[in-house]
Amino acid sequence: MNITLNGYSTYISTGGKVPDPNKTALIFLPGSGQTHLTFVLQTRFFAYDDYSVYAPDFPGHGLSEGNPLETIDEMAKWVAELMQVCELRSAIIIGHSQGCLVAMALAHTYSEHVEKLVLIAGALEIKVNDYLLDKSKTSLPQAIKMMTEWGHGKQGHFYTHPQPGHSLLGVGRELMMANVQNALYLDLNACNQFDASEYAKQLNLPVLCIVAENDKMTPIKLGYKLAETIADSSLVKIAQSGHMIPIEKPDEVNTAIKNFL
Amino acid sequence: MSNKYNFDTLSLHAGQTPDSEYGSRAVPIHQTTSYVFRDTRHAAALYNMEVGGHLYSRISNPTVAVLEQRVAALDDAAAATATSSGMAALFSALLTICSSGDHIVASSQLYGANVNLLKYTLPRFGIHTTFVDPTNHDEIRAAITDTTKLFFSEIIGNPGLVILDVDKVAKICADAQIVFMVDGTFNTPYLMAPVKDGVNIIIHSLTKWMGGHGVAIGGIVVDGGNFDWGSTNKFPTISLPHYAMDGINFYEEFGPAAFTAKFRAEAMYNFGPSLAPMNAFHILQGLETLPLRMQRHMENTEKLLEFLSSHEQISWVRHPSLEEHPQSELAKKMLPKGAGSIITFGINGGRDAGRKFIETVTLSSHLANVGDAKTLVIHPASTTHSHIDSEAMISAGLTDDMIRLSVGLEDISDIIADFEQGLKAAKTVTR
Repeated sequence: MNITLNGYSTYISTGGKVPDPNKTALIFLPGSGQTHLTFVLQTRFFAYDDYSVYAPDFPGHGLSEGNPLETIDEMAKWVAELMQVCELRSAIIIGHSQGCLVAMALAHTYSEHVEKLVLIAGALEIKVNDYLLDKSKTSLPQAIKMMTEWGHGKQGHFYTHPQPGHSLLGVGRELMMANVQNALYLDLNACNQFDASEYAKQLNLPVLCIVAENDKMTPIKLGYKLAETIADSSLVKIAQSGHMIPIEKPDEVNTAIKNFL
Repeated sequence: MSNKYNFDTLSLHAGQTPDSEYGSRAVPIHQTTSYVFRDTRHAAALYNMEVGGHLYSRISNPTVAVLEQRVAALDDAAAATATSSGMAALFSALLTICSSGDHIVASSQLYGANVNLLKYTLPRFGIHTTFVDPTNHDEIRAAITDTTKLFFSEIIGNPGLVILDVDKVAKICADAQIVFMVDGTFNTPYLMAPVKDGVNIIIHSLTKWMGGHGVAIGGIVVDGGNFDWGSTNKFPTISLPHYAMDGINFYEEFGPAAFTAKFRAEAMYNFGPSLAPMNAFHILQGLETLPLRMQRHMENTEKLLEFLSSHEQISWVRHPSLEEHPQSELAKKMLPKGAGSIITFGINGGRDAGRKFIETVTLSSHLANVGDAKTLVIHPASTTHSHIDSEAMISAGLTDDMIRLSVGLEDISDIIADFEQGLKAAKTVTR
């Protein structure tokens, strides 16, 4: 569905069902340069599993208009505004990578609106190497190539995928290419400048951390550290997956989320 | 993993890791129609495209999926769907995009069945095609109308061996917001993987070089994932809610793989052009050696071109790598590893001499295929293109004396010796 937020048309994937205010709301927040399509194998699954699903595209990403946001706190504020427009009093926030930072900022600053967090491939800090950051500004295709190749584990590189015929690397590249030109740079820069340590220490709600065995973008040790920092956290480790766990291991991710919910 | 595997590695491994239960190294043949659901929720989720997996082999099959993912990898594309033949791939792809009232612009230099599908079959369903000279870009541009949905051409035309200037035509299609669909059978992803150059959909007959051994018929539709189906209102069956699955919107829910999602949900469901798992297995065996075979195809092609070009009985030879080919420079630029292993030529003495040649060669096989490991010869005017009308035959660059040669992998001296005895026999007709 499309809503107007801050004067811009904003796309929210609802998993093919009209959200029902009487059902538990799940908000999915993607990583840097990603869109609702990171959660292609979660949104429809949970929408038809009796949840109200909201997977928005941030401004300048995917099917949303507008200029990309520049800081994690701005993104958290934007999600809070989106919840208001959608008349959502509260929701369970499910973030991936950068989406985890936004989810923690949202839970810290707008705590009354957040029931639980699921942090997939998250970390307290997501530092971006200078070369990638530079390429995201000066040579977007090269930066996207680096990210898709680093972001996927062995399964992606062998082109195996639960959706018959789909290529994780090919789809990943094209969905990132569809964003506005500076979206990836601003996302990576926002991650680079943000430290969620203080927010994480203060979180006072149930949190599930899902980490991947072969994650090169936010290595598993950072996921463990994140879980250790959060008081009420549990952790699920997914074997044989890279950073893009929601699409690399959708069944395992969906099961972990369902058990947590 | 940090770096992507290279082509030769992908041709062996893409789409498969050894199965966890038995560790089978070769791709297992899943000779089954159906798959046991875990529970009713799992069944519903599969039918509703909520999760990945297989529910019925008309829609998808694990062995076929390995082939699909391998070809998607080799073509550096977003997705691929295999079909029972190359023609099934083309027909299903066209009907995934077009509806009654829609218009196609297509190259006049096409395989005979492609011509007939576009010229005679599809008009019965309200889909009309304008044929154009693929080298005349003004003609392509002028043929595009408000109802045009796509431009279709072979990259290396069969049998005229005209080369499509992919860069230039991609720009025309992008400007017109229409789909750029090519048949890449003659080039294979080894010689050219054109998604990076702006091609949106690739059709391959897997029967040919990809399978390479003449043992299985198959086709595949490769989705570049690089066409924005929602950027215009021209593609409502992809960008607007579908009639099934609660009005699923393929564009919104599958993004770069929207075309493939719709193809799977409609073409595979409603038309049923599924590839048999055994055939997928045979084609996969061929794909494992595609780079090696293509190198040898190119080496033998080069040597045979030298032989034919200097032979006194050969009246003409056509191949895009020859300097006299009007697009030889373009071929070098677009296809640096070689411009395919099809050669066409004429023999002094015309059609009768050609017939004698074909009947006399013994190593080379006279049959209706190309891209086999073995050398093949045929007379297109009386066979592969005999079902098209004379006007289309002229447009396709087909002459009455043309012999089409698909260069195989035999020792080149044996192929040449076979040709020498064929030409010797043909000389009796010449006299």
